[in-house]
Amino acid sequence: MSYAIKKAAVLGAGVMGATIAAHLTNAGIECCLLDIVPFELTEADKKKGLTEQSPAWRNRFAAAGLAGVTKSKPASFFTKKNASMIKIGNFEDNLGWLADVDWICEVVIENLKIKQELFAKVEKIVKPTCIISTNTSGIPIKDISANFSASLKERFLGTHFFNPPRYMKLLEIIPGKETKKDIVDYMVSFSEERLGKGVVICKDVPNFIGNRIGTYDLTNAIRIMVEKKMKIDEVDAIISKAVGRPGTAIFGTLDLVGLDTGYHVMKNLYEAVKDDESRDVFIPVDFLSKMMENKWLGNKTKQGFYKKTKDDKGKTVKMVLDYNTMEYIPAGKPKFDSLSEAKKKGEEGVGAMARSLFNGNDAAADLIREYFCNNFIYAANRVPEICDNIVAVDNAMKWGYNHQLGPFELWDAVGVKDVVAVMKKLEKKVPKKIEEMLKAGCESFYVKKKDGLYCYDFAAKDYVKIEDNQKIILLPALKDREKVIKSNESATLVDIGDGVACLEFHTKMNAVDDGLVEMIFTGCDIVEKDFAGMVVGNHAANFSAGANIFKILVACQGGQWDVLAKLSSEFQNANMRMKYLSTPVVTAPAGLTLGGGCEMAMHGAKCQPCGETYMGLVEVGVGVIPGGGGCKEIALRLTEGIPTGAIEAGLNIQQYYTKAFENIALAKVSTSAVEAMDLGYIRKTENISMNRDQQLWDAKQLVLGMSRFYKAPRPAMIPVMGENFRGLIEAALYNMKAGNYISEYDVHVARKVAYILSGGDCPEGTYVSEQELLDLEREAFLSLCGEQKTQDRITHMLTTGKPLRN
Amino acid sequence: MREAVIVEAVRSAGGRSKRGGLAATRSDEIGIQVIKGLLARVPQLDPADVDDLICGCAFPEGEQGMQMGKILAVGAGLPESASGMTINRFCSSGVQSIADATAKINMGWSDVIIAGGCESMSHIPMGGSIMRPNVDWPSDAPWVYISMGMTAENIAANYKISREDMDAMGMESNRRAYEAIKAGKFKGEIIPINAFKYKTTKSGKRIRETFVFDTDDGVRWPVSLADMAKLKSPFAAGGSCTAANSSQTTDGAGFALVMTAEKAKAIGVKPLAKLTNYAVAGCKPEEMGVGPKYAIPKVLKQAGLTTKDIDLFEINEAFAAQALYCIREIGIEDRLKSGDINPNGGAIALGHPLGASGAKLTAQLLHEMKRRKAKRGIVSMCIGGGMGAAAIFEML
Repeated sequence: MSYAIKKAAVLGAGVMGATIAAHLTNAGIECCLLDIVPFELTEADKKKGLTEQSPAWRNRFAAAGLAGVTKSKPASFFTKKNASMIKIGNFEDNLGWLADVDWICEVVIENLKIKQELFAKVEKIVKPTCIISTNTSGIPIKDISANFSASLKERFLGTHFFNPPRYMKLLEIIPGKETKKDIVDYMVSFSEERLGKGVVICKDVPNFIGNRIGTYDLTNAIRIMVEKKMKIDEVDAIISKAVGRPGTAIFGTLDLVGLDTGYHVMKNLYEAVKDDESRDVFIPVDFLSKMMENKWLGNKTKQGFYKKTKDDKGKTVKMVLDYNTMEYIPAGKPKFDSLSEAKKKGEEGVGAMARSLFNGNDAAADLIREYFCNNFIYAANRVPEICDNIVAVDNAMKWGYNHQLGPFELWDAVGVKDVVAVMKKLEKKVPKKIEEMLKAGCESFYVKKKDGLYCYDFAAKDYVKIEDNQKIILLPALKDREKVIKSNESATLVDIGDGVACLEFHTKMNAVDDGLVEMIFTGCDIVEKDFAGMVVGNHAANFSAGANIFKILVACQGGQWDVLAKLSSEFQNANMRMKYLSTPVVTAPAGLTLGGGCEMAMHGAKCQPCGETYMGLVEVGVGVIPGGGGCKEIALRLTEGIPTGAIEAGLNIQQYYTKAFENIALAKVSTSAVEAMDLGYIRKTENISMNRDQQLWDAKQLVLGMSRFYKAPRPAMIPVMGENFRGLIEAALYNMKAGNYISEYDVHVARKVAYILSGGDCPEGTYVSEQELLDLEREAFLSLCGEQKTQDRITHMLTTGKPLRN
Repeated sequence: MREAVIVEAVRSAGGRSKRGGLAATRSDEIGIQVIKGLLARVPQLDPADVDDLICGCAFPEGEQGMQMGKILAVGAGLPESASGMTINRFCSSGVQSIADATAKINMGWSDVIIAGGCESMSHIPMGGSIMRPNVDWPSDAPWVYISMGMTAENIAANYKISREDMDAMGMESNRRAYEAIKAGKFKGEIIPINAFKYKTTKSGKRIRETFVFDTDDGVRWPVSLADMAKLKSPFAAGGSCTAANSSQTTDGAGFALVMTAEKAKAIGVKPLAKLTNYAVAGCKPEEMGVGPKYAIPKVLKQAGLTTKDIDLFEINEAFAAQALYCIREIGIEDRLKSGDINPNGGAIALGHPLGASGAKLTAQLLHEMKRRKAKRGIVSMCIGGGMGAAAIFEML
């Protein structure tokens, strides 16, 4: 049996339901979003002339869900236009719509009876191949499906998304006892490839993996804090980025999620996991209950563990709860020697920092030892109770809780043996399977072998190979396997098989520097000779955050104009080399793709962006203009679709160029690949990879597909408006300056942008070569580099990370 | 001596641009229907006697391009002997055309002229579709390309017109317009338009429908000062000119029938009024809104009159900032309060269809004077680029 989800339905239009529906549209799937009919007409409804027959009233909940998700921040939709792919309705009038959907995802209130009643109705309508899932986070799958027919049970499973579904990578899939294997397999690959999720398979146990381990993690930290009489801000300073946690640490995260949510999960878990050896941890400590009574639930009630107030001068002050007195006191900047020592190891990675902290000797290290030991023991004891292997636990915590390392990876980093020794010192009960593992000579949970990565399996009592997903091309793994063709400090050309090479950047933030530019040339030379084509992409969070502005500043301050001129022309030439290479180059942008990064991403034969691509030419923020071909290429991209002869027949191209100007002068950045298409940085005909892990594979397939019949493009001639464009921009800048929207220097920089886009001193309707625009870019770039205010902007960005408006 | 008289002055209702009742109707179509309505009110006139049609238009391009004057003449069913022309003095075009008609007739160059203006701001953007400022224009020279909103902000800032006063004027304008419409005051001057709207039928077919549009649709009432105070200026950071105290962009047309007094007598119609004086005055482009401050005294001096001799004013509310400033400078703020200025609301409520506004205000002024049995009135407005215009009308 093969399955194909083309149309879906989401039942329940609360925040989760609506945001899941929104993400389905991002994947190109049409869906309907249904919810209940309101209970009764209110007085206000009657005043508005609504009756019990009005669709506006009957669909109120689904409509509210859709309206909310359209406004949500961060955005749930790749583009607001996607909202039209969601059809709203209600459970009474519109269940008929379910007859032709391929997947139904139920996200109604967490009430077994309500869920069962709804499914009883749904069962009668759906087609026999429809896959049905529940997004429950706490109700056993087997209870929901207790009354299902045998056929429905085969097609039923849990699909537990994390909030917000677009951004949180984790998707827990919970097969029921009777769920057919091919349906589980299909949903795994569908979720990975189409929805871009990281899937872990869970057993049908309370709160599955993420929230079970995650809630233990939080309550463990809270209990140790109380026992050790430490403060909330101290704990957050320790269990922080230094051990691979998000910046919100423990209590900031709880404030973000809402204490009520966390509190209920604790209580539910306590009731549900009667055999859990550590279940008492889930009993909320007293002060949490007091906070619940006070409705100090976190950000949504404006106070929780933290609260922001203003001092006499109107400056925002961060206050923290003193849980002994239940009063808010100014939050400090807690300092611990062990923590400072650990942070020095930042360059070596999170594992090194965590190990350093674990081996320290002060209160912070005491806390970390206690906390890690408890966490590790708890995680080890949960396998195979909640899942079959340790990888699922690690992935769940990384993808669902933004931990940089899962508990077993962290344990490896600190040293399995060393931790066990500390556990014994602290009189913890070391799990038998860990003792056995060490006895068998296995001293880490993961080992790298020649043919790939292995993990320790408690059941097999040995290492088992982690199966490679062929659609996930792991560059570091390939590099380990001696697939490196050429490498320098900034970039590496890797053979990714089938005659395709990948150019990987690895500078800090993947910033563009000399080495990287040099590697583009080298890579192109090699690829042209020996390969079918090249992918330009990487695994880092960001494709490239732009040029290395520190190096530019140094050159500016040293008056090294020849260096700057060479920098700009080399980068332009490198980009042009990629664009006109005789074999196809496919760029694969993802994450931040800014400035020079955007310019590189625009200079492939084709582009295979990740859905989460934040792309823009942001150079004006540091007082320069895109000098690597960005101005030229956006001018070309926005005008390339103009029919031949249209300009000669009188087409006014001012709107095309106004848009190009606004992109650059306002430093517009897309919030998704689709928006990058709207801005013109990616052609609308390109395909989008939903899964970041599979993006390089997708790009490689594109190279292979193109390489068979590839002809490099002919050099383009670009229609420009000449002086007329500058006159137009001059008038607009006057108003913006007079209206105090922009500074004198903003005007100066914007004029440079206008000059480049105008094509120089020529009449409207002139066609210029790419090189002419590149020359204008370079000239403008150099002249701005010589300006004090540009240097001030760069300095400010380097020291504060924020643009200076001077 | 020959004397030009106005036999009738009418207008279409104002439709909010893009969203209002005339948004889907072409500018020339609106003009033709208003002219047909005007001629229908004077059945004694043989259309063959109309020898010219002057159409004011601020952005004569697209559907209001080509030679709109002649197009309207032909469209309204005038015989081929009728001529037509289009004139442009931006916001005063509609009254400029009536003044020009008066002058031509007084000179003996014409006997019967239809004069007014026509503008679709829904279809033709302000600044025109192909704006091409001169790249060599020195940035410190008088800035002729300045946005209108910015000129209003300049006036508010330079002459300290408070946000509160501007909002109060905006509110009062809406209140007066609402009351006037409720009392049916505009019925006599408005020619109902068979306007278009585009729809999609249930079967998915796109169709054009015709409906009657006869009421100004830009009036916002009730409004509260508190809500108005929340609006931000779209023109300047921290500015004080907002959607609530600025005129609306509007579609509409207005036309008057001007002829010699002898002709009126010969065909047996009673003239309504005559345009006795007209003046334009220049000012700084960056403060174009101050125009009426200069134009009104100039026209009064020309006529040998003072403001006390004027019973009624229609002063275009391009922006409350500039209208209020001019009214204060001329020393007639008490007349604003007492209802001798813009008694039935101004452009903040009723809209400002650029090239049509002068004719629209003339129709409003003459019909209100008729109701009041007043003698003299002034129509005045500021003009983009840095000018003001003012015309004195005397009832007959």
